[in-house]
Amino acid sequence: MDATQLITFLSPTAPRRLRVIENILVGKRTVSTLYWGMRYHQLSWLGYEKGLTRETMNQSVAELNERGWVIVDQTNAQLTDRGAAEQRRVLQSRYQPQYFNIRLVIDVATFWQRLLLATQVVSEQSYQNNQYYPLQVSWQVKQTIKRWFSHYHNSGLQGDFQAFWQTFFTQLPSKQATFMSRLLVGHQQPGETLTQVARDFGLGESEAKLMEVDLICQLAKRVSQTDNGSVHALLSGLKTPLISESAALTLRSFMAGESLQTISQKRALKLSTVREHLLEAAIMLPKEQFNFQRVLQPKLVAQMQDRLGAVPLDEWQFKQVEDLQVEFWQFRLLEILRSKQIDDKH
Amino acid sequence: MISTEQLYQTLKQHFRFTDFRAGQLDALTALSAGQNTLAVLPTGAGKTLIYELYGVVTQKLVLIVSPLISLMQDQVTALTVKGEKRAAALTSLMTYSEKNWVLRHLSEYRFLFVSPEMLSQDQILSAFQRVQIGLLVVDEAHCISTWGPDFRPEYLLLGQIRHQLGDPLTLMATATATQHVRDDIKQKLQLPQATEIVEPVDRQNIFLSVERFDTQNDKNDRLIELVAKLKKPGVVYFSSKKKANEMAELLTAKTNSKVAAYHADLDPETRFKVQQQFMQDQLDVICATSAFGMGIDKNNVRFVIHYHVPSDVESYWQEIGRAGRDGEQSVAILLYQSGDEQIAQFLSEATIPQDNEIHYYFQQNAPQIAGDEKANLIWFYKQHGYREDQLQAAFAKRREQRLLALRKMMGYLRTTACKRRYIQAYFDQLKGDDHLPKHCCSSDEPQPDFKGLGLLASTADSAAANDPQNSNTEWQAILTRLFNFAGHQSGAL
Repeated sequence: MDATQLITFLSPTAPRRLRVIENILVGKRTVSTLYWGMRYHQLSWLGYEKGLTRETMNQSVAELNERGWVIVDQTNAQLTDRGAAEQRRVLQSRYQPQYFNIRLVIDVATFWQRLLLATQVVSEQSYQNNQYYPLQVSWQVKQTIKRWFSHYHNSGLQGDFQAFWQTFFTQLPSKQATFMSRLLVGHQQPGETLTQVARDFGLGESEAKLMEVDLICQLAKRVSQTDNGSVHALLSGLKTPLISESAALTLRSFMAGESLQTISQKRALKLSTVREHLLEAAIMLPKEQFNFQRVLQPKLVAQMQDRLGAVPLDEWQFKQVEDLQVEFWQFRLLEILRSKQIDDKH
Repeated sequence: MISTEQLYQTLKQHFRFTDFRAGQLDALTALSAGQNTLAVLPTGAGKTLIYELYGVVTQKLVLIVSPLISLMQDQVTALTVKGEKRAAALTSLMTYSEKNWVLRHLSEYRFLFVSPEMLSQDQILSAFQRVQIGLLVVDEAHCISTWGPDFRPEYLLLGQIRHQLGDPLTLMATATATQHVRDDIKQKLQLPQATEIVEPVDRQNIFLSVERFDTQNDKNDRLIELVAKLKKPGVVYFSSKKKANEMAELLTAKTNSKVAAYHADLDPETRFKVQQQFMQDQLDVICATSAFGMGIDKNNVRFVIHYHVPSDVESYWQEIGRAGRDGEQSVAILLYQSGDEQIAQFLSEATIPQDNEIHYYFQQNAPQIAGDEKANLIWFYKQHGYREDQLQAAFAKRREQRLLALRKMMGYLRTTACKRRYIQAYFDQLKGDDHLPKHCCSSDEPQPDFKGLGLLASTADSAAANDPQNSNTEWQAILTRLFNFAGHQSGAL
């Protein structure tokens, strides 16, 4: 997380919580992190930088502060006018991811390992060579590709792969196509490292990484849509659910009409855990897949609306409504619903 | 008993060589006669061939204890590429199920690589106790002596582990070892009677040079100058990953060479690419830490430059041994700025706990959080019945040894007498003056004549010139090359 990337996550109109930004990047799935991550349109970055340290984060904040681009109040940061101008400049000049949502539903890192190795294997096969150094990948990926290759090796992989990559690169801007093609590994082509390609394109390391991951997301999307059987098979088993398995079970019972108490007893979960599961589902899933009305009775919504109607969503406070017959999680759920109704961009 | 004919026959049929290199046949003959063997063969002399050939001839399991995961993976890959599929490395990177699978099928393997830490685990050790080990190999055996007490102490258990494995026939292999280290290896493996096969460590085709600088800027400028003008490929060694990265950037910016950094922090994809680019002469220079080298089999490296002072002569000699494996003239240059020895001393002692640390950790009743190496180190000794005062004495002695090793290294760089003779003397292999090459070291030739040595670069040598990826980097061209499409189309016609 360099300072340039951080600036894109901040806002000139409202202070943002640095810990939320950090937790999203590290991949912490607490309800509070997910809620604010949604508000900041940052959910698709969940777990993008698992190894991010507090130290690095603080360095980036300090850098923005020194340049007069942010005002930091404790652990909140807001862009100054100059910071907002810099943000506009960055958003225009720096590569911005378009396909990061894919990260939430496909294990793109494993997918890339598989595709890169499969491409190498097919390339070597095209030269009838079977003595070569394969890419070093995890054991699981190696086993998967071994099985994949023994299944498909006679089915015209050379043509399949040529056609797949040709189609993919053709629909990309040529700069991006070249960028990605230079990373590929094959017969007597060790491929270039990200650092090498970035240098040639005049990109910084973190921008190049961003572009690479976004291109891989786009590839994963393309592969999920292809009717090219051998290529499509590389995605097998890599779908990841939007919400945890446990939260999905809770949601299913809830949507089937069971009360929270019943779910809590049947699944031996604390009531608070059941509520967290439901909030996670409400945040992560499209709003049609969650029954908001069951928790938010029209009368209650109207009462809360009376108090909160004129207040911008991010300034809502539970204490404004706590004298009503309402629990915090219901309040949060209304926030989620409003967020999805007013700007459902995530 | 295996006959010499059998050995030659296998060499020819399996490895497609007609002759053994110096030391290989002696070591194989000793092993065939059932003698435990310590083989000290220079880097690049083909130590791996000894146990590979032994495994092929005897059709028995060869268990190789090796210090680095990356090295083990390289070796397994190299065996697989040669067609030997029954090879695997048991490492901490394996998943639980993968490890279990290998352990349940041990007898189906011919070559298994394992770290000393892994081998000392009960589950692993008892699995190996259930199979018959044809040959136990302790690779990079000098690690037992240079790494033992303060870093990876499990090396010290190998003697005991060997007994627990039923005293299998053992090969200890290393490229560099003084008589003292050889004795130490044999003592720690409890094999005092082992046969020693010692080949000369001297590499006559490597010119030995030391250059001194007053400031880091001067040193950097000289490095840039050397990289620009010397014949490639080459390796530059650094003590830190950060410096290796920085200098790779600087050299890329300031020279026409293709340069990349190589160290333990690289992700596997990048590591593979850098390694393969270098092997395929698509990279001129690698800026490496000591993680690079073991396992890289490249013959035409023309120079090895050290930007920092290594902490002992063994490491230095091992690293410059990457140069000139093809026998052609090459050069090893040590760039020294006064004060560099402090970095070396710091790194060399950093792993050795101080008395107060030993005392503190001795009070603890559990191993500390993962990653606290000193805590785990002291826990290891506590578990193995050491007392606090014993440990303090042992580490004090160790600190002295490390300091002495560094002094010997500094002696090499400071000596105004012949540096080659200094090395020969260090490894107890001193020979007469008539055994020195015409161009020997910077003590005789402070300004080495790189031109006369044939070590100046011509433009044709640069990787940029050989690099097919440089010829056309449009994606269409890359795809055509990747899938042999030109060939495919003509084949179809």
